Order: sequence, then C-alpha cells, then structure tokens
Amino acid sequence: MIAGLFDSGAMPTLDRVVQFTEARHGRLTADIANLSTPYFKPSDLDVEAFQASLGDAIDRRRKQPNPTRGELQIRDTHDVAFHRHGLTVDAEASNDNILFHDRNNRDLERIMQRLAENTMTHNAAVDLLKNQFDMLKLAIRERL
Amino acid sequence: MFGALDVSTSALVAQRTRMNAISANIAGQHALTDENGNYAPFKRRIAVFAQGDGRGGEGVHVREILQENAFKYRHDPGHRFADANGNVRVPDIDSTVEQINAMEASRAYEANITAAEATKLMMRNSLRLLA
Repeated sequence: MIAGLFDSGAMPTLDRVVQFTEARHGRLTADIANLSTPYFKPSDLDVEAFQASLGDAIDRRRKQPNPTRGELQIRDTHDVAFHRHGLTVDAEASNDNILFHDRNNRDLERIMQRLAENTMTHNAAVDLLKNQFDMLKLAIRERL
Repeated sequence: MFGALDVSTSALVAQRTRMNAISANIAGQHALTDENGNYAPFKRRIAVFAQGDGRGGEGVHVREILQENAFKYRHDPGHRFADANGNVRVPDIDSTVEQINAMEASRAYEANITAAEATKLMMRNSLRLLA
C-alpha cells in the first residue's frame, strides 16, 4: 500500500467493508446451496459485531494526530479475524429456527433477505471506493 | 469471490440431479417391467445431498441416489403378474409427493440462480474498480 495514497480518507474503511461483504457473501451462498442438505445448519457472520468493531476503529483513528491518514486498526470479532490484507472467518451455525424433518435448519426468506442486503452494501461500498479512485485519477491527470 | 459462484453452481447441479430423479419417479410410477420385459416394478429414486462439493470445497453434492425397496399391492386377479392371492406388486409412488418435491427442487434452483446473479453483480462492480 502506498502510504498516504490508498490509506487516506474513507478508503481503509471501505476496503474492510468490501472484504467483510465478500466473506459474508461466501457464507450466504453456501447456506443457499445447502437448502436441501440433511443435517445442515445455516451460518452467517455477525454484522453488528463487525459494525461495532469498525466504528471503534474509526473512532480510534480520529483520535490520532493525523485523523484522515493511516491504516485502520480494526479488532477481531468473535467470528472474523482481520489481517493486514484480508480476513478469515469462523461462522457459527445458527439454531434459531425450527428444524425440518431432514434436520436442516433452513430459513430461505431470511437468507435471501440477507443476501440482498449484503449485495447492496457491497455495491454501495464499491461505488464509494470507485469515487475515491476516480478522484485520485483526476488528481494524477491534473485535468477534468 | 469466484468461490461463491462455484458454491452456487454445485447446488444447481445437485438440484438438477434431484429433479432428474423426481422426473424418473413420475415417469416410472406405472412401470411394472424392466427394459427386457421381465417383471420388476419400478423402484422409487431419492437423491441424497451431502455438504461440500465432493472435492474438498464448499457447496453441496449428491452423495447417492437411493432406490427404495417399497412397493404397494393392488388386487387384480386377472393381471398377468398377479400372485397366488391375486395381488400385483406395483411401484409405491405418490404423484402428489413427487410434485411437491419437484416444486421444492425448482424453488431451490431459483434461489441458487439468484445467489449466482448477486455474485456476478458484486464481481462486476468490483472489477469496475480496475477500469
């Protein structure tokens, strides 16, 4: 990462959001794929825990001498471990639905809703990230 | 991100296989002989799913196609396959159950298509960052 170029402003935050939504998307597609698999229990990442951790990291960054620059020091949540350039997930299976006869714990409507929400969040973050890149491009080209 | 597409594809393949088994059940519900004309009532097929794509990755796959050894008996003394009591062993297939299973497989297939579309949309947006 070029210091000051890709770790300034909202970029590190958006970077983490995109990483999280990608990882969550992987979990949700696996849940949908296993809708008819006996004994399968869907799992999801804890969005609220991620948001709290991200918010906390942003607050700590704001308290630094240069609040708009530098990497985001985000703390791990109970199901997501953050690394310098990515993350690893360890999602727990949910038990908050009635078991079907095949011992599957599916909740299709809820999963599809989460998928739609996650896709929208990802696309919004990518659009914002693209805006940041476009501004960088504009500054580099020095013309409109 | 491409992994998510693989997961959805594995489910599409599995649901299609399940639909093949259901179609075979509906088609064979009145079949009493094999292709050589020997008396062998059709056995109901059930696609059993298992987690994972079968090659160590995430997703789902058809572990096996079970063939049920369950038959029902119809009293028809004049039938050429009737036993000493006048009963004929016929496939134990309920077309209503098969229709419901077909509908469930179809809906699951649609859900996976939606997931694959969402993955493609996310990939397209992410790739736009490079353009």
